[in-house]
Amino acid sequence: MENMGHMVEELLHELSVLPLFSEHIGTFTLTNYTFFLLIALALTIVFFLVSTRRLSLVPKGLGNVVEAGVSFVRDGLCVDILGSENGRKYFPFIGTIFFFVLFNNLLGLIPGSLPGTGTIGVTVTWGIVVFLVYNGIGIKKNGPLTYIKSFVPSGTPLLLMPLIFLLEIVSHFLRPITLGIRLYANMYAGHIMLGIFTILVTISLEHLSPGSAVTGVLAFVMRVIMHGFEVFVAVLQAYIFSILTTVYINGALHASEH
Amino acid sequence: MEGSLSVLGAGLAFGIGAIGPAIGIGMIGAKTIESMARQPEMAGKLQATMFIALGMTEAIALLGFVLAFVLMGA
Repeated sequence: MENMGHMVEELLHELSVLPLFSEHIGTFTLTNYTFFLLIALALTIVFFLVSTRRLSLVPKGLGNVVEAGVSFVRDGLCVDILGSENGRKYFPFIGTIFFFVLFNNLLGLIPGSLPGTGTIGVTVTWGIVVFLVYNGIGIKKNGPLTYIKSFVPSGTPLLLMPLIFLLEIVSHFLRPITLGIRLYANMYAGHIMLGIFTILVTISLEHLSPGSAVTGVLAFVMRVIMHGFEVFVAVLQAYIFSILTTVYINGALHASEH
Repeated sequence: MEGSLSVLGAGLAFGIGAIGPAIGIGMIGAKTIESMARQPEMAGKLQATMFIALGMTEAIALLGFVLAFVLMGA
């Protein structure tokens, strides 16, 4: 069993951010995570270019997949929450986030690869991008003064105003952080869990006995089930990231109404 | 000794921190099913709202998870 602690340490080391090469250009270094991030970026671009090369009214093959995905995000997410006009206007941004996060999450589930979303730096950066975009939309739509005023609901007693204002500011600044941590922690925790089940299988194979065979088989079955569950989590997290972005944009658009 | 204490703290931070969100996620699921049974035609909208609430509740549990790793490194 003392072997397990060593193996877990190795697993955590493998999942940490490691530079691929010792050389670096300026402050930029290619790490294992940025490597897979770039692969996911290339895959997203190639996938959409290939599948939309020949557009027709009745899509064939890959076109079906893209159409289902795009209409899910545009109609089920953007138009549903933002309304028809704004939904179509902000769909490119929300759709890009959805598909990029989805491709990153799913790429990480191929054994040997890592999810680009598995580091806090990547995900919180996207959180900050979302934060800047929705605040920009709110300021552009309502004007800076009305937007800031909307942090305090009308009808608040004068004495409570500074407190409510402060709370709202804090909750707004926490949004990019929670947005990023949610995605990162889900991906990271999922990979640790898969790794630990794999370690359990390896250990029970090393010390073969009737007892360890049972644990080994159980751990293996759990490992397979959990991999399926992680596919579900990957899609769910992409969905949650984009639906929260949509909700934040919607709140910024209708800031003057409350 | 100090190292093992920080591991214990990390375990407690995640374990105790997961209690609240666990109850919350259970309540979200239960109430969504209840509302869907009452008004099946609203199921799509309720599901979308459920996922928003789920994401927000889950984040609290995951803050404990991140804190656990911070404590383990300390």
